[in-house]
Amino acid sequence: MMIKASMPTALPLIPVGALLLAALAILQPTQATCADQPETVCIQCHASLPDRLGAPVNLWRNSIHAENGISCNSCHGGDPKHAAEAMSPSRGFIGVPSEADVPAFCGRCHPGVQKDFLASAHGMALGKGGPTCVACHGSHQVLKASLDLINEKSCTRCHSFERAKTIRDAMQQTEEHIEGIERRIRGFQATGVDTERLGKGLFAVRNRFHTLFHEVNVGRVKSESTQINAELAKLDSDLKVIEDTRAKRKIAGAVAVSCMLLIALLVHLLRKTFK
Amino acid sequence: MLKRLYRWVDLRIGAGEIVEKELTGYLLPRNINEWYSLGSVLLVIFVLQIVTGMLLMVYYVPDADKAFKSVTFIMNEVPYGWLIRLCHAVGSNMMVAVLILHMLSTLVMGSYKSPRELNWLTGFILLTLVQGISLTGYLAPWSQLSFWATTVATNSANAIPVIGPDLVEFLRGGKLVGAPTLGRFFALHVSVLPVVITALIGAHLFILKRTGISTPPFGASETDKPWRTDSYHYQSHPGGIPFFPNYALQDLTSICIYFAIFLAVVFFAPNLPFTPDAFVPADPFKTPAHIKPEWYFLANYQILKIFPSELLGLSVQAIAMTFLALLPLIDRSPERHPMRRPLFLICTVAGILLWIGLTVWGHFS
Repeated sequence: MMIKASMPTALPLIPVGALLLAALAILQPTQATCADQPETVCIQCHASLPDRLGAPVNLWRNSIHAENGISCNSCHGGDPKHAAEAMSPSRGFIGVPSEADVPAFCGRCHPGVQKDFLASAHGMALGKGGPTCVACHGSHQVLKASLDLINEKSCTRCHSFERAKTIRDAMQQTEEHIEGIERRIRGFQATGVDTERLGKGLFAVRNRFHTLFHEVNVGRVKSESTQINAELAKLDSDLKVIEDTRAKRKIAGAVAVSCMLLIALLVHLLRKTFK
Repeated sequence: MLKRLYRWVDLRIGAGEIVEKELTGYLLPRNINEWYSLGSVLLVIFVLQIVTGMLLMVYYVPDADKAFKSVTFIMNEVPYGWLIRLCHAVGSNMMVAVLILHMLSTLVMGSYKSPRELNWLTGFILLTLVQGISLTGYLAPWSQLSFWATTVATNSANAIPVIGPDLVEFLRGGKLVGAPTLGRFFALHVSVLPVVITALIGAHLFILKRTGISTPPFGASETDKPWRTDSYHYQSHPGGIPFFPNYALQDLTSICIYFAIFLAVVFFAPNLPFTPDAFVPADPFKTPAHIKPEWYFLANYQILKIFPSELLGLSVQAIAMTFLALLPLIDRSPERHPMRRPLFLICTVAGILLWIGLTVWGHFS
């Protein structure tokens, strides 16, 4: 006597597989994030101080420096591990620089930017009422260098916004282009694509672009932006090659999966003929 | 021509007799179902892991300074290297998942019971060895994810009284995870564990052949005769269906369905087994937050977190694992139908829900 199996086809395995897949999708390893920076004695002490002495801590926490692990001692020197030596000049403590020394203070880590700044109209007015780095970037809540820093509120503290706006508009498209390419590179890097060459290429272009950030010559900004955009177009085409390859892989994958399902169906039907 | 060749071989090694005995004459219960084909699916996965592993070894360099770059090279420069690597990485996860399904079906259908205790035990050891080979392979890319996941995993051994710290040092080849850890994990991954797993698969199949395949508990069967303990006998299925072509086609169907799922992951969700940290080189000085083990270790990980001491957590896991391994010796009732074993069914469903719950908790904790 033929006995009917409880599950007569292989099809029940499909929902099981799908369930398994869903479980794998939900439970894929959690993304690790950057670890919190260990608290230095500077922060431990100043965070509890009132007003002028405590305020920089909270400002710093929201800065691009904090985001990248640059702590108090990175700029002000001193020993961040020993409270007694934290502000000792013998441990390299600098304290607050004078206004004229601010570009040199920041320029220890950003020498290229310092050079660009000093060569600009802003830099040439240093010590004669002109702005320093902190006028636009902030002192403790240091803001990421971006075109957003060129804004009416900030610029009109000293002069009209007209020329600054022209410069910003000329650079806006390039900035967006760079950010777009950076996002794509980061996305590919997170999926195992070797982006070292592309990353270095973008880094060089971005640096060149950033040299324009302190430039106030509209003509130079426009011509440099054109050249930078041409270099970005090369990176764009390299990324397009990777995207095209991935699209082709997906088509190949769709064919392979369809073939497997088709063979499964045919073999299942063939098996039925043997019953 | 083919017939002549077959005749030539048959005359020398008796191929016809083997085909008759092992394929067309190898009879299976008429009510055999699809879940029985998961064993064949697992064999195919294991073979694929061996083949892709061998291909990866052509370019992979098991050196802490070169491992990450060699994997990047495989993924980006070697023709179809990305496909081979993804097949290996996705395959390792799928192997654990299918193995769990295989064991669950054995559990629900009561196929672990007498006289198949040894089958269950070898299968259970295979599950732990497969998890072991996945763990040792996890370190191979020498990424942030693999480095820190291995640090966390090896650190758990610290909770074992007396020998804990020495065991951790032995596993790592030093106080911390480093180049010696990669060396010993690689040796385990590519030589020791594959050989042991192959031997155990052989033992598993040998025991299966000597005992005979079990009859599913669903539906009456003319071959369903209780096993007696007075003397050894092979549980045959007279009047059953032949393995070839009938069930071989079922095996093939299941294998194709598996490949459809497997290839869908490889081509459309290749990052399922990875996080962005898997593509950042290992940095012993930068600890990423929230490093979690692979999905099949999440329940174990969460248990360690729940209990106030790691030793207690490890002990609970050891008791649970021992209970599961020795289940055929504990559950000795001959009844195999799950609906006629309410206590068993309740415990099994509760156990599965607990495992899933701990896994999800471990993921989000």
